[in-house]
Amino acid sequence: MVELAHIFRWDLDKTYLRTDFETLRGLVRSAFEKAEQKQAVPGASALLRELRASGSHRICFISGSPRQMRKVLEQKLKLDGVQFDEFILKPNVSNLLRGRFRALREQVGYKLPALLAGRLAVNRPVPETLFGDDAEGDAFIYSLYADIVRGAVNKTMVAQVFERVGTYPDVAARTLALIDGIELSDVVRRIFIILDKRSPPARFDRYGARVVPIYNYFQAAAVLYQDRVLDAPALVRVALDMVGRASYEVSALASSFQDLVRRGRLSRASTHRLGAELDGAAALAGGDGVVSLVTALGHRVRALGSARAQPAATLAEQVDYLAALAEDPPRLLKPPGAGKKKK
Amino acid sequence: MGGDHAPDEVLRGAAELSIAAPHVQILLVGDGDLITERLRKLRHDPEHIAVHHASQRVEMHEKPGDALAQKPDCSVLVGARLVKQGEAAALVTAGHTGAAVLACSRHWKRIPGVRRAALAAVYPTEIRRGEKQDPFSLILDVGATIDARAEDLVAFALMGSAYAARVSRNAKPRVALLSNGSEAGKGPPEVVRAHEILQQHTGVNFNFIGNVEGVDIPRGTADVVVCSGFLGNVVLKMLEGISETVVELARYAYKQRLAWKLGLMMLSGGLKRLKEVTDWEQYGGAPILGFDRLLIKAHGRSRARAIANAVKVAAKASQGAWAQEVEEGLRQSGLPTEGEAAG
Repeated sequence: MVELAHIFRWDLDKTYLRTDFETLRGLVRSAFEKAEQKQAVPGASALLRELRASGSHRICFISGSPRQMRKVLEQKLKLDGVQFDEFILKPNVSNLLRGRFRALREQVGYKLPALLAGRLAVNRPVPETLFGDDAEGDAFIYSLYADIVRGAVNKTMVAQVFERVGTYPDVAARTLALIDGIELSDVVRRIFIILDKRSPPARFDRYGARVVPIYNYFQAAAVLYQDRVLDAPALVRVALDMVGRASYEVSALASSFQDLVRRGRLSRASTHRLGAELDGAAALAGGDGVVSLVTALGHRVRALGSARAQPAATLAEQVDYLAALAEDPPRLLKPPGAGKKKK
Repeated sequence: MGGDHAPDEVLRGAAELSIAAPHVQILLVGDGDLITERLRKLRHDPEHIAVHHASQRVEMHEKPGDALAQKPDCSVLVGARLVKQGEAAALVTAGHTGAAVLACSRHWKRIPGVRRAALAAVYPTEIRRGEKQDPFSLILDVGATIDARAEDLVAFALMGSAYAARVSRNAKPRVALLSNGSEAGKGPPEVVRAHEILQQHTGVNFNFIGNVEGVDIPRGTADVVVCSGFLGNVVLKMLEGISETVVELARYAYKQRLAWKLGLMMLSGGLKRLKEVTDWEQYGGAPILGFDRLLIKAHGRSRARAIANAVKVAAKASQGAWAQEVEEGLRQSGLPTEGEAAG
């Protein structure tokens, strides 16, 4: 049996799928859409296919969509050629029937135990990469999870977070019990946050260098190339998929590539390595698309001249989770005073 | 990247435009470190913003010639070079006008047949024009060529017409010469001579309506008003002075008598509408015409909205081969050829 090399955990709505859940109309439309009507975020399916093909990788989805949508969502992933190992959906009907209305919106009490349970099932120091978006609290939840599994956050802090966000006490207790079984290890390599709302990247500085805000999946693929999770041809295939299927301009990809370099998320050394590898690949493949992509990427990086990348010092070394909740509350906080009642 | 509120307002304008008008690709020329540091705190889309690092900038108090000689890597010079190289279709700046014109003249060619460049300005009028119901008429020259000859005025007329046709989506803008009477023989010799040439030239793509007087400018009798730089500058300053005086008088009236105050309050809706119509920020910038590339000069006081609108104007105006159109028009007008004009 091949040893598991890497685990990729993906959120679904707004991370993989273009979903509008800000409006009632969007929510209703999303609930009744057929699989073939659902739209994936450009490059997401190509990246998932490359991740699957590039090693002994496990792909897991954790979605806030109700379990009743499993069939249509799985069908959509199948249509996109995306294979997965695990697909967790939220028990919204069960929450509704039990009168747990807060749980319908609250995400920490849903995603954190799901992530920890997934970790427990492996319980070996297999590296993980997580994908989420800026619509809810993905950066917060994923970072908290990463710090729990590496032992940087204790149970007291987790309990305080649960209290602050209004997680139901039984869920909180069950989650804290899960933490006891975790083999502590710094396994979360990257947390990609796709900026669906185009939030300023600086908003995520508080979560440190591990959280990488991205504007498209070509950027994620480039960072994964830097991390040697993907090779250069895989990165090119993701780019060409975005050009071919989503009508991306090569110039837009090149500008977003430059953005990564400017923000210090992609090192100049990595761009040089990529240039060298792609020169050979382009010559071998002889495709015009590859050649124009390689040219555009190199051109944009050279345009930076002597400009330095954003210094890593601007990124936090340790996350203050309670401050994060207070200063930049994601859509997961309970109404003021709700927690006091339970006490 | 100059201007009174640079770089913050320039970057805000670019950031907002990158989201609102994704068809426009923006190339920011300036200090790469500074741009990245500020941009990462703003909502923007880096797929539509690229950066070209320039380590120097021209300050407003500097003499253009000296500044460009001492600062070969200043942003305006680098920007002009990039436009020449085809990296961008137009140059937009809110910085030093003299330095911008000089930088462009270093890298760009004058349109064959055009002896001198013209600085254009826009002025709100009673009459709307073109598909977009543009309230602004174009006045040129407003200061670049003090002693315009007849052939300069003809060139200004053709350039103004070609520019207005694109920006106002006005297929056949009405072009007029500014004089001291509407009759053909009125005005100094160069205006009389220009009138003769333009009248012969009017046809399918060019609509010369004769002479207009100062009073016709705010009425909007012509879409393009042509005059020497000396006259244009006096007219523009006078129009600005009148606007400011009207505002001051309204303020005075507001404070002086209750009846006047009530009257102004009743008119407030209309005054607000008037303010919107005459708001220079909605136009953003005015062109400097005469080169084979386009330079849009935004007001030095420009804030984000004006910058974004100036870039939009540049994107609109640079569509199609307008410089060739002007060149062809000049050739048809029977004016001296390039070599003769240069002398």
